[in-house]
Parts: sequence; C-alpha cells; structure tokens
Amino acid sequence: MTEQEGTTAEEVLLYLIAQLVEHPDQVELEIEESDTKLSLMAKVSSEDIGRVIGKRGRVANSIRTLVRAAAVKDGVDVEVDFSD
Amino acid sequence: MTTEINVEEQQQMVGEFLEGLAQSFGVTAKAENVAADEDSFEVNLAGNDKELGLLIGPKGNHLVAIHEVSKTMLQRRLPGLNRARIRVDVGGYRSRRREALAAYVQELAQKVIESGVEKGLEPMNAADRKVVHDAVNEIPGVNTISVGDEPRRRVVLVVADD
Repeated sequence: MTEQEGTTAEEVLLYLIAQLVEHPDQVELEIEESDTKLSLMAKVSSEDIGRVIGKRGRVANSIRTLVRAAAVKDGVDVEVDFSD
Repeated sequence: MTTEINVEEQQQMVGEFLEGLAQSFGVTAKAENVAADEDSFEVNLAGNDKELGLLIGPKGNHLVAIHEVSKTMLQRRLPGLNRARIRVDVGGYRSRRREALAAYVQELAQKVIESGVEKGLEPMNAADRKVVHDAVNEIPGVNTISVGDEPRRRVVLVVADD
C-alpha cells in the first residue's frame, strides 16, 4: 500500500479551513510529527482568524473535534492550533 | 431590493460542503436533501454506515461539530443575508434519535394522563425539546411546558387543564 500525500488529519484540517476563510491562498500549515503524535499549526490571515476561532472558541473546538476524529484513521494523536 | 438566496441554494451549498468533508476523511458519501421549508432545511449525508460512524462520533459529538462548521461556512458565504436554519444529519442518526425520543415521550405522556402526575424530563437542547413538544402535543389530555434556563432548560409534561 502506498502512503498518502498527507495524513487524513491534515486533509480534514485543510479542507475545513479552506471552506471557512475568505483568503484560502494565505493558509499555511506547519506540521510536527513524531511516531505517535502530530502537531498541526494552521496559519490564516488576520482577517480570517476570528472566523476560524469563533465565539468562545466554538468553531476552533469543532475543527479540533473533527481533526481528532480524522487522526483516528492515521493512528496518531493530534494537536491543532491556530494563529494569524 | 433585498438580496435573497433561496433555501434550495443554501441546501445545495451545505450538501456540497458535506460531501467534500466526507471525501477529506476518505469516506464516500452522498448528500441528500431531507426536508426544507421557507426558513429551514435538513441535509443528510448517506453512505456506508460503518464508514459514517466516524462522522457521527460518540454521542453524536462529531455530528455536532459538523453542524457547527456547516453553519460557519454558510455565514461566510452569505454574510448579512437571510440564512435558513440548518439541520445536518449523517447516516440518518438524528432522525432515528428523533423517532426514538418521540416514542419515549409519548409513552411517558400516557403515564402522565393515567396518573395525573406531571413528569419532568432531563435538560435537552432546543432541537430535542421541539421534538418533545411536537410529539406530546399530538396527544389530547397532556401539555408541555419548558422550565429553567439554558443550558439546563427542560420540558415538563403536565396534565392538560381542559
């Protein structure tokens, strides 16, 4: 079996962010990976950060929930952070 | 002239969003339009039940998250417009739960009628409370009231006055 380009967690995170922001061209993803843990830091434009985080962090938490669900397929724990 | 976007178009947008989300999970699924009226609609993501479990999650947690991001996506695409209230389902999970909840509270309503003693339910979200109100109010002899404040607002089944 050939390995995918990115993990399922990355795919889901990038998809969600691209759908939620005004400036998808300014989205960057920093990835730190160890055997069991994946750290994803999503950078979006300062105009979009509020939208990605949402009121009381609701949107950010929903994104985290879904990325963690996706990481089950990758067999790793995932941590997701957002910045502008 | 106000810029209106009809419910069908919004339903289409959410459907495409959900199919794309499923795809990013590596899950093949198809969005179905379940219901729509002038200010609300429901979209269900249908596919292989085993695969869809991941998108539902424990106690429907992942589904709640999908609902939240779907709403946010629509807000970004249609800022300031009259957006419809959206309901998102995966694999018919919500509709099965709704049916089970309706059946349960209708049984409880019968007991309230027989005993004449009111019966309070546990706190529920607004969508579930609506299911309870609709299901119980079909039955003569019993009414529903909501008491308490969010997030602990709950429904009480009471004997009808008349």
